[in-house]
Amino acid sequence: MVILFDFQQFKLINKYALRDFSRSYKKLWVVISTLFVSLLLLSLTFSIKEALNSEIENNSKELLGGDIQVDSDIDPLPNQVIEQFNELGMVSSTIEFATMLSKEGESPVFTELRAVDNKYPLYGEVETTPQDASEKIFSNNQKPNVLINESIQKLLNVSEGDDIVIMGQKFEVAGLVASVPDLAESAVFGEFAIISMDSYEKFGLSSGGSFLDHKYRIKFNTLNEIKEQEDIINSIIAYDDRIKTRLPGQSGQSLSRVIDNFSNFLNLVSVSAMVIAGIGISNTLLSFINQSNTSIAVKKSIGFPSSFIQTMYFYEIMLILILTSVIAYLIGVFSPLLANEFLPESLGINLQPSFSALGYLNIFFIGLLVVLIFSIPSLYSISEIKAASLFRNTFNPVSLNFSFKNILLLTILVLVLTIYFVSQTNQKLYTVFYFVSFFGTMLIFYGVSRLLIALIKRIYKFSNNSYRIAYRNIVAKKSLAPIMTISLGIGLTLLLTLSFVANNLKKEISDSIPSLAPDLFFVSIDRDIKGDLESYIKEVDPNAEIEFSPMASASFISLNGTPIEEVVSQNNRSAWVVRGDRRISWSEKPKLDNPIVEGKWWEPGIEDELFISMDSRAAYDLGMKINDKIILNILGRDVTGTITNFREVDYRDISINFAIIINKAFANKLPYEYVGTLKSGLPSSEILAMVVDKFPNVSAIKIDRILKQVSEVLNKVFIAVTAISLIVIVVGLIVIVSAVLVQTTFRRYNNLIYKILGVDFPTILKAMTMEFAVIYGTLIFFALSVATVSSYLVVENALQLTWFFDFGLALWILVSTAAVSFILILLANRSIFSPKVYPLIRNE
Amino acid sequence: MNASIQFNNVSLSYGEIADEVEVLKSISFAIDSSEVVSIVGPSGSGKTSIIMLASGLENATKGSIKVNGEEIVGLKEKELSEVRRKNIGIVFQSFYLIPNLTAVENVLLSLEANQQYGLEKDAEELLGEFGLSHRMHHLPSELSGGEQQRVAIARALINKPKIILADEPTGNLDSVNSESMIDLLFEYTKKSYTSLVMVTHDNSIAKRCDRIIEIRDGHIV
Ligand SMILES: Nc1ncnc2c1ncn2[C@@H]1O[C@H](COP(=O)(O)OP(=O)(O)OP(=O)(O)O)[C@@H](O)[C@H]1O
Ligand SMILES: [Mg+2]
Repeated sequence: MVILFDFQQFKLINKYALRDFSRSYKKLWVVISTLFVSLLLLSLTFSIKEALNSEIENNSKELLGGDIQVDSDIDPLPNQVIEQFNELGMVSSTIEFATMLSKEGESPVFTELRAVDNKYPLYGEVETTPQDASEKIFSNNQKPNVLINESIQKLLNVSEGDDIVIMGQKFEVAGLVASVPDLAESAVFGEFAIISMDSYEKFGLSSGGSFLDHKYRIKFNTLNEIKEQEDIINSIIAYDDRIKTRLPGQSGQSLSRVIDNFSNFLNLVSVSAMVIAGIGISNTLLSFINQSNTSIAVKKSIGFPSSFIQTMYFYEIMLILILTSVIAYLIGVFSPLLANEFLPESLGINLQPSFSALGYLNIFFIGLLVVLIFSIPSLYSISEIKAASLFRNTFNPVSLNFSFKNILLLTILVLVLTIYFVSQTNQKLYTVFYFVSFFGTMLIFYGVSRLLIALIKRIYKFSNNSYRIAYRNIVAKKSLAPIMTISLGIGLTLLLTLSFVANNLKKEISDSIPSLAPDLFFVSIDRDIKGDLESYIKEVDPNAEIEFSPMASASFISLNGTPIEEVVSQNNRSAWVVRGDRRISWSEKPKLDNPIVEGKWWEPGIEDELFISMDSRAAYDLGMKINDKIILNILGRDVTGTITNFREVDYRDISINFAIIINKAFANKLPYEYVGTLKSGLPSSEILAMVVDKFPNVSAIKIDRILKQVSEVLNKVFIAVTAISLIVIVVGLIVIVSAVLVQTTFRRYNNLIYKILGVDFPTILKAMTMEFAVIYGTLIFFALSVATVSSYLVVENALQLTWFFDFGLALWILVSTAAVSFILILLANRSIFSPKVYPLIRNE
Repeated sequence: MNASIQFNNVSLSYGEIADEVEVLKSISFAIDSSEVVSIVGPSGSGKTSIIMLASGLENATKGSIKVNGEEIVGLKEKELSEVRRKNIGIVFQSFYLIPNLTAVENVLLSLEANQQYGLEKDAEELLGEFGLSHRMHHLPSELSGGEQQRVAIARALINKPKIILADEPTGNLDSVNSESMIDLLFEYTKKSYTSLVMVTHDNSIAKRCDRIIEIRDGHIV
């Protein structure tokens, strides 16, 4: 390229590029539109992710509900501890537990109930309708008040002022909770209610079970020396390992991780769209150069070197890149305002647009890499245009320049692009994998188109005119086959893979799980009522299958003497098993549906020794081995146990499964309660209503309700994901249409010749259809194959489900894509069919 | 010493060794500065080839070509561009104006290639002298053939090159236009002491030149 530091030269390049652009931008619309669409996607992803993350960061105290949170799980903190907290600042205590909300004539609703004191929330606000509803729950009415969320309102069919029953006690609905500052999961996706701590204590609502969660949030009096105050809190609670603290930054972590994963996916889709846009850029640029070949030759004859002309065109593309990236970025900057409209109100999130030079540079840099990769082979073809042709009035079209130097340059640029993406994400392996398979698929499709041409060349004896024309078009030098297979193939493969995976997951949730899963899941059943409950259910439905398991709480302290926090990283897939309080169970014999995969079951009857059976997958993730020593804290006492075996646990059937099972003889000394499942021929809502009526303290989850919630959320995610991957197809279609448009002169000429030779219009149309069918047929064969293999790998390995092939879905996607592409191709070709072209033959 | 173009035993061949076509066969000649020379000969004799070699747009197979004393055989593309920019103006049979540039912009292109900026006045003045003052800001598609060729000549002359190479500049023009165009070309080359090498089929034009070089079958006769 030319020496850019020559300022005069730069001015000249700038002048020529601007002039050329202003006079021929219409020819560059493909570069402009495809670059813009893919940059916009990238920019939207970036801005919304940034806005979400900064919202989480700015509201970290609201999300936690205080400057620090102390979590003591089942047991409340002793008063003297709370008094010590009080010296540091304002303390708000809450208790969360699951219970049933019921109303005469409606099926009871499993709800996360939160009892709060009047200092709650310390940060942020509880949004309610009517606005003063949250004050009502603290007023000393005869009848206590409750705030419910919209989901409960719908399920129980209640409104403000109605009565509902919680554990046998009547509550009046004070209003609806729209959002709580700490983004409680059940407030957003499920059923959530708030009562006052006074009502909780006054009516003895505690189920006493192990699902209680006591939280204490503190707002420090002074915000100086936060670290020291945190240390004081930690020293106050140091007497018990099970009491944990949380700091503001930590509360949003899991949310940030979800956002990161999703935005990483979007980034990969954007870069795919951009690469396909790149194919269009390369193609358009080359045809642009070929159309301008006399101008380029004249410039050379006047004494401009190739490098100057290359720089001028490159500069022009840079202008387009700057223009489109700036617009895309600005739309991105303001997109959070629009996103707010689509976020559920219960999230209570208000995204703010924010401008950052670094954010723009990020988008520009990615765009620059892609543009460089795809414009270098086109731009270097300029050096092949010979000014000597001006003397002979003949111009040979130039083609992409893949010199050794260029290939080396392209390899480096592709590596830089990959490394740049990989360095920005936590899922490095997945990102590398995506890039490798993406470029791999691209190569496959290029190979496929070449193979198709080679194959067709072998069978060239066609008697029929349509066949012959179609054949000539496919094997022609300017064949549509390569560009169509690559630019549509990638998008189609992506769309097919994603829909296959999504469909497999949906099927699992809507068919496989419900057929295995129980109808009801009983949470925390008091030991004393277990017998009564069991016989009552048998009375109602003698054929019901009931299964109860004893359950206690324990927490992991160490593995082979090392504190568990040091052994297991935050990102470990099975970290949940050792984090916080875990329910454990026990049994004398191994369960049938939990086959032992390693080690041996324990001898029954050993009372003074603790034996542990671990879920094999968790054990693998956490690096546990048979005979490892584990210290568990059970009811405040540290006990050392030995791992004797690993079980294979299938959580999918939603029956009672425990990651940790201990020996029954040892556990007999522990206080415990039961969990249970019920499968019955009767409608689950009826049984549930009867049970809750008779046993107000029993809570049970309706599995179908959970599945419905999960599938609703999944559905939304899938729609979003497929819609986004459609963008890749749209960009691919623009590229194809542009390729067709570039070809029309050549095709028009050919078709005219055919007409003169007496070939009629239907034959030409038939030939085009056939050409399309052959290319598209080859393309779907390979897209379908790649998508089948990749979705199989994802479903069987990553999701561990049984893969199945949905013929209808595949057909639907392929046929609709085919229809849209073919119509677009015909439209792009319409000038060929217009009778106006006949006179052109004289000039052509 | 004073020659603006000097060919020494220059040969030009096309094609592979097997079916090699020798277009120019070891020709030698020199053009003095401010000399006006016409090249004549039958079709296919190699006239255009000589112009291409002299302009550096084609590479000689053998021999030496000096432009304004500088050897150009074996130079790289970039160096050839520079030689061309500094010394040579070319006029084509088919004009070859850049279609999306106006007349004056086409002329300015030559100046700007030589890093001479802001000389719109000069370009407009020259076009005015060529009788195109009312067509300055028109696109080539809006000009007649004669007008286009006058713009092309202005483009070649504006840099005050030492040599003008013209390949049948009147080939696409009628006799009236040819006449006035050749007058222009002669007038301006004489005025600025520029050498002119012009391929022509028109005997009357050839006769007006200082010297005629006749080519036959790749040889000078
Ligand atoms: N690329 C090429 N490969 C082979 N032969 C070529 C090539 N270019 C030109 N020739 C041959 O070189 C010879 C000289 O061509 P040139 O254009 O110089 O002739 P000319 O004297 O200008 O003819 P005309 O008066 O018709 O323009 C011709 O016989 C031509 O066929
Ligand atoms: Mg000729």
